[in-house]
Amino acid sequence: MTDATLTRVSDGTRRSNLTPRQRRSRRNRWLWGIPLWLLALAFLAPFAWMVSTSLKSNLDAFSIPMQWIPDPAQWDSYVEVLTGENSILPAFANSVIVAVARVLGEVLTATMAGYAFARLHFRGRDKVFLAYLATSIIPAQLLLVPRFIYFQQLSLYDTLWALILPGMFTVLGTFLMRQFFVAQPAAFAEAARIDGANEWQIFWRLYLPMATPVISALGILAFVWSWNDYETPLVLISSPEVYTLPLSLTGFADEQGALSPNLSMAASVVSIIPVLIVFLLLQKRFVQALTHTGIK
Amino acid sequence: MGGALGLGALGALTACGQGTSTSPATTLNVWGGVPPESGPGALVEAFEAAHPEYSVVYTRFINDDRGNLKLDTALQGGVDIDVYFTYSMESMALRAGSGLALDVTDRVESDPELEPFLDTEAPKAYWQDGRVSALATTREPNMVVANLDRLEAAGLDLPTEWTVEEFVDTARALTTATTYGSYQLPDVPRVGLGPNYWFTSDGTSNFTDPRFLEHYTRGRDLISDGVLFPWTEVLARQLEAYQQNAFIAEEFALWVTAPFSLRYLYDPTNYPHEFRAAAAPIPTSDTGSWNTGVFGNFVMINPRSTKHDLAWEFVRFWITEGSQFMAPGGKIPTLQNVDTDQMLDSLLGPDADDWFDTDSFRRVLFDDDPELFVDTNLTAFPEITLAVEQQRDVCWIGERSPQDAVASMDAQATAAIDRYGRDS
Amino acid sequence: MATVTAPAPTRSVPAPGNRRRLGPPDRVGWLFILPNLVGVALFTFVPLVSVVVLAFTDWNLVSGLGGIEFIGADNFTNVLADPLFWGSVGRTVVYAGVSVPLTVLFGMALALALDRDVPGRGALRAVFFMPYIVSTVAIGMTWLMLMNPSAGLVNQVLGAFGLTDLPAWFASSYWALPALIVIAIWSGVGYAAVIYLSALQDAPTDLYEAAEMDGAGPWRRFRTITWPSLLPTTVFLMVTLFIGTSQGFGLVALLTAGGPGDATTVLSFYMYQTGFQFYRFGYAAAIGMVTFVGVLALTLAMWRAQRGKALND
Repeated sequence: MTDATLTRVSDGTRRSNLTPRQRRSRRNRWLWGIPLWLLALAFLAPFAWMVSTSLKSNLDAFSIPMQWIPDPAQWDSYVEVLTGENSILPAFANSVIVAVARVLGEVLTATMAGYAFARLHFRGRDKVFLAYLATSIIPAQLLLVPRFIYFQQLSLYDTLWALILPGMFTVLGTFLMRQFFVAQPAAFAEAARIDGANEWQIFWRLYLPMATPVISALGILAFVWSWNDYETPLVLISSPEVYTLPLSLTGFADEQGALSPNLSMAASVVSIIPVLIVFLLLQKRFVQALTHTGIK
Repeated sequence: MGGALGLGALGALTACGQGTSTSPATTLNVWGGVPPESGPGALVEAFEAAHPEYSVVYTRFINDDRGNLKLDTALQGGVDIDVYFTYSMESMALRAGSGLALDVTDRVESDPELEPFLDTEAPKAYWQDGRVSALATTREPNMVVANLDRLEAAGLDLPTEWTVEEFVDTARALTTATTYGSYQLPDVPRVGLGPNYWFTSDGTSNFTDPRFLEHYTRGRDLISDGVLFPWTEVLARQLEAYQQNAFIAEEFALWVTAPFSLRYLYDPTNYPHEFRAAAAPIPTSDTGSWNTGVFGNFVMINPRSTKHDLAWEFVRFWITEGSQFMAPGGKIPTLQNVDTDQMLDSLLGPDADDWFDTDSFRRVLFDDDPELFVDTNLTAFPEITLAVEQQRDVCWIGERSPQDAVASMDAQATAAIDRYGRDS
Repeated sequence: MATVTAPAPTRSVPAPGNRRRLGPPDRVGWLFILPNLVGVALFTFVPLVSVVVLAFTDWNLVSGLGGIEFIGADNFTNVLADPLFWGSVGRTVVYAGVSVPLTVLFGMALALALDRDVPGRGALRAVFFMPYIVSTVAIGMTWLMLMNPSAGLVNQVLGAFGLTDLPAWFASSYWALPALIVIAIWSGVGYAAVIYLSALQDAPTDLYEAAEMDGAGPWRRFRTITWPSLLPTTVFLMVTLFIGTSQGFGLVALLTAGGPGDATTVLSFYMYQTGFQFYRFGYAAAIGMVTFVGVLALTLAMWRAQRGKALND
């Protein structure tokens, strides 16, 4: 850890005179970096396969042994999924709306509730929390049909609200935030209370800034959960105008339900771009937060 | 019994009553599994042109477990659906058995053009207690598609009729160092037993019929002889869903399949290959000559629809004049009201003679008038289907003996049938 | 339990400004959880109640609400006597029991490595997270090809090391489950690493410096500082991954559909079959409830273990 911290300090002055210690840490960078990048190849494989399949003919997609470089490469699949009859663009817009609303709602409500479960003391707290945990054990598939009937009654069926609302209030997010706040020292709150701060100020000014990394992580995860959710929209949405991305991918399946590999992979490649952007934006927060730890 | 009580907590959810959304009386909602561009789109346009006062909304669902779940929840939840399609007998058992299909017997009887649907000897509709609740819109005969070039190279003639033994001999003769003789055997028990072959006449499990053990034993032997495609590869590559790829790549020479597979064989861009294909009939056994294909793609009317007459008008249109719009997608109409030449054009593509022995397809699919079936005993259908597939897999990858596998099918089928018997 | 300790911390330091706080602490706490609680109650608790009710019925969905038939505890006695259920429990224990701890372990190792200053760190993080975001279909198809018994890359590599008699993976009752475990770990490591990384940012840097001054080696620093500070995260990951793995069936459905035979029919997939292929919703709900009791017991045990570590203040 100390090595790493010092190296970060040294980053700015890399080109100037290096102390022996700095030289050692530069060597260490590569000592760790090379095996990590090699390992990374194994994690890139399915993505590479997605891209390569999206550029192949359907037959080549299944050729054994695997053909990593498409020959010839054809871009037709991208044209088809973006501008063709079953264009994914309208569904793309719906997915963005749903994901943004869900992430904002989930992060806000989960952070507040997680903080309260960890740092505030109130009657019934642990019982409610256990009930929370218990609900997450019930397999989500079992909820599909009852939720459908229920949402039908609430006139939410076949609207984006049917996807947004349940996603804004989650047990998993609350649990994650609670586990973070539990690890934070209580002493700050004590001191602030003595200084006359109210509970909201303590949460908002004191603890929330510390939580930037974990909030970023939750944001990324919530985005992914929303973005890839197939079953909820499958049962709660019926009109193509309100399809989200995973549903619109089914437009590339034949009558037997078998997906056309090149089209569905082209659509998948397009569809993970926003997730990657969100990830790359938010993951910087992990690092930024390091400066905060110094303040503590 | 207990239905009212059953509302319990679920009832609390539905306290506001049935939230049926209704569209205008002139709009018909149709749910089907065929992509609109493969026929239904044109069919709907033609219907609207013939009936300018009506409009039709066609919703496509994916014909897999989850797509069917979507349709079932929608039907049950009072979503506005007037006409819908059922493709699998698993779904048929549930929908027809639970009152989700309107009884159309009287309407069929009063229409001379639909007379073939009243045939109970060779049914083309789903019959339950003497009533019709679903009409098959298509014929899906099976056939053996042969790699003609390999057949000729082996000095063999294309059979116009043959037995299972002759099929096996041909497969052996076509086996080379790089090519298996056949992908799989035809469903020989079905050839002998026809409809409802999993059930005895009094409704119990029929897996003790010697034809099942014989079939799975023969399959396993031929796999280990290298005549049939190895089942480990089938599982490892999930080839059941993509058999065409291996046939195109000439990994096997004989292919028991249905007309929907033919489209891959005239698509040189996506499925490039060098050989021509020909059709042979499904081989017969000593005990029967059923084609293993079905009447299928059942159309049904939702009893909750408020537009039964309009819905029937549309169903009738689909079966009669509508057939010509479904033909380009390769759907052979039940009533055979599309000219055979036009049908062959649709099935075999624009350059048919480059890719096919056209006459053989005309003979096998149309002139022979293959003996198709509709299952009517659908007891525990999904459970038995799963048991059969699971046991077939472990048997043919060599992990379980045919005797044990078939005995297990029998035990599981018996248990499932018993459970349904107790329930009803 | 909370009531015992509730007011203690604040009262222990009586201060003049203390009275200015809003109302009793109880109300503040409830106000904080209220937005989330209302949502969870409306959209999860309510449908959940009907699942519990369904477990006591025989219902196939298509027969409608009127077709719900109450059959008492029959579903439960049948589940407990169902060999397929117990078989799938066993497979789930193996599947989750092996994959979850390994995912957590590798995730932590990866997070520690990615917390260092390595070249292209941001990109690396994204790469390891990739399996978590690409579609399950792509993951399934890729692994199907990688693990092809005759021509797949995995067996080619194993063969290059001189191994013979290579596994048939998805075409073998013995190797299909291990194959799924490998894939589950591979696809979950990025998730675990992201969460660990966020927790690491909060590690008490001053303690490390002090420890290094005291001459503590890397292992001791990890054991005495890093590991305890990551414990709540570890518990979170163990619990959520355990629940997720015992519920998730996407990979199973795509790669093996529970086969060959029933070799990979884990609990979640068995429930899926019962509910969505056989349409026995009552029975599926009963399987869900029985599973619930089992998992709850395990979760509580893990929970107690954490409480024992006194991280709850």
